[in-house]
Amino acid sequence: MMLKKIFINSFEALVENKLRSMLTMLGMIIGVAAVILLVSVGTGAKRYITAEFESLGTNIIIIQPGKTDKKSSMGPPISSSKGKITLSDVDAIMRSSQLLSAVSGVMYGAGTVKYDISASNIYIMGSNDQLQKVFNINIIEGNYISKEDDDAGRRVVVIGWNVKENLFGKDSPIGKLVKINESEHRVIGVIKPTGDKLGFNVDEMIFIPNKSALRLFNTDKLFGIRAAAKSRASLDDAVADITEILKERHNGEEDFTIITQVTMMDSMNTILNMLTYALGAIAFISMLVGGIGIMNIMLVSVTERTREIGIRRAVGARQSDILKQFIIEAVVISVSGGLIGILISLFITYALFFAFPGFDMRPPFWIIPPSFLLSFFTGLIFGVWPARKAARIQTIDALRYE
Amino acid sequence: MALIDLRNINKVFMMGDEKIQALNDVSVQINEGELTSIVGTSGSGKSTLMNILGLLDLPSSGDYFLDGTNTTSMNDDALSLYRNQKIGFIFQSFHLLPKASALKNVEMPMQYASAYNKDLTDEVIRKLALESLEKVGLADRVHHLPNELSGGQRQRVAVARALVNKPKILLADEPTGALDSKTSEEILRLFQDLNKQGVTVIIVTHDNHVAQSCRRILRMSDGVIKSEEHL
Repeated sequence: MMLKKIFINSFEALVENKLRSMLTMLGMIIGVAAVILLVSVGTGAKRYITAEFESLGTNIIIIQPGKTDKKSSMGPPISSSKGKITLSDVDAIMRSSQLLSAVSGVMYGAGTVKYDISASNIYIMGSNDQLQKVFNINIIEGNYISKEDDDAGRRVVVIGWNVKENLFGKDSPIGKLVKINESEHRVIGVIKPTGDKLGFNVDEMIFIPNKSALRLFNTDKLFGIRAAAKSRASLDDAVADITEILKERHNGEEDFTIITQVTMMDSMNTILNMLTYALGAIAFISMLVGGIGIMNIMLVSVTERTREIGIRRAVGARQSDILKQFIIEAVVISVSGGLIGILISLFITYALFFAFPGFDMRPPFWIIPPSFLLSFFTGLIFGVWPARKAARIQTIDALRYE
Repeated sequence: MALIDLRNINKVFMMGDEKIQALNDVSVQINEGELTSIVGTSGSGKSTLMNILGLLDLPSSGDYFLDGTNTTSMNDDALSLYRNQKIGFIFQSFHLLPKASALKNVEMPMQYASAYNKDLTDEVIRKLALESLEKVGLADRVHHLPNELSGGQRQRVAVARALVNKPKILLADEPTGALDSKTSEEILRLFQDLNKQGVTVIIVTHDNHVAQSCRRILRMSDGVIKSEEHL
């Protein structure tokens, strides 16, 4: 019999047993939908985090005191006591390296800021004039900290959007005096609403000159240095430059860690890929369950249709004809289930995307052909055994079967 | 040369430890155009003989020449081809596919034949199936399912199916066993008509009345052909 005819017969057999076919397909539908949905979650998370990192600019260099030997890690713990980075290190890097577009020391701590009777608990970031360039900080009103402010250690402050809203409401804060941990600072700028950047919520922060911050926290130790390379291409050379400069200043000891966006993205990608693979493996198990479901039903079907097999063999069907018939039935079930599963998963992800545009879990299109093939081969593999059983039934026994 | 030539056919079944000799050294020849009945009580070996004649079962020993070819050395595919092309089966319980229409049931043997014969396109198959149903008087029942047809009509569908590949032999196993006497007569008359058109008909039955409708009667008991009559 021609393959086309067997396909038509298989469809007819499926339609004749609607309920059973649907239930068998359900396993496949869930399996394929699970594969696509879980891979979508994996790639969606990866896309989100990657975009988050890239919004910071890809040329950022982070210098932290302390040293870990582990490559491409996220750096030593913040409280690491080993190594010490000071403002003169920042100056030295600024003077010596031609490959950097901006360098700033950073100082970081928690505190309160008060205006009149309003007070907010906020994070305080100490920086010089160049941090604005490193992190693409956008000022909506006034100015960012200037070089003169930093050099002189003036008591000035640039405040995040939410801080401004909390303390001043709709009024302009420029020129007003606020108390930061009881020390008076003059507001010189407001930052445009920004949200999260590299783990900080910029809107909840205030920025003051480095020297003011060191004085405020009564220390000479910086939290670290943030720099931006002039280009992505010069990133590695810039890192080498900084390493050399700092080593020379630290008695030849490498008591600091340099992290770039690239190494951070690498380690992040490793984790996210693992996540995607793990989700894929879970989805694969549901495919397996779907396949076993198909095999079960096909075995039942073979037993139920023993007499049909006998009749077909009596009028001239070869073993290979019966084999083909049952394999194709299994494949038709699994592929139909697979297609429905693909449509359902697309529907779910796109519906979520249109309802919540920030929640972009749309599946990557490369996943669709393999999930289709997976459903095809699941049907093929799990259909073979029942079909062989069907083909090997003795004609004479099959005809007598009640 | 005989169309069917059985030489020293033995068939042995094992029932647990017990050995059952269903056919014991049977030799018989049936020529083209004969109308033969094989009669015997249950357990006489007539059904076993019928299964071997129909290539549904293989003998334990002996040779079966069908249309000049020794079938005992054939592989399964060749046997399937012979069943498809040379033999038409009629069964006591009709053996129609319950979920397929009369037309689809009749088309089925030709669909398997189309693997060997490229002239059998879907259109040709449809046309031949309709012709075959018309010949047995069911032109107005082609789209009915078997359970929408009477017993006699079902057996006619089975006859239409058996004849559609123009086989040389029509093998009928208790063809009237599930029919009332009136329809039985009709079916037997149909067989006689077909025989007159040149089809070799073999009817296996326990019913002497059915056997009397044939020109040659082979009586079986205990796995051997005990006697032969010519009417």
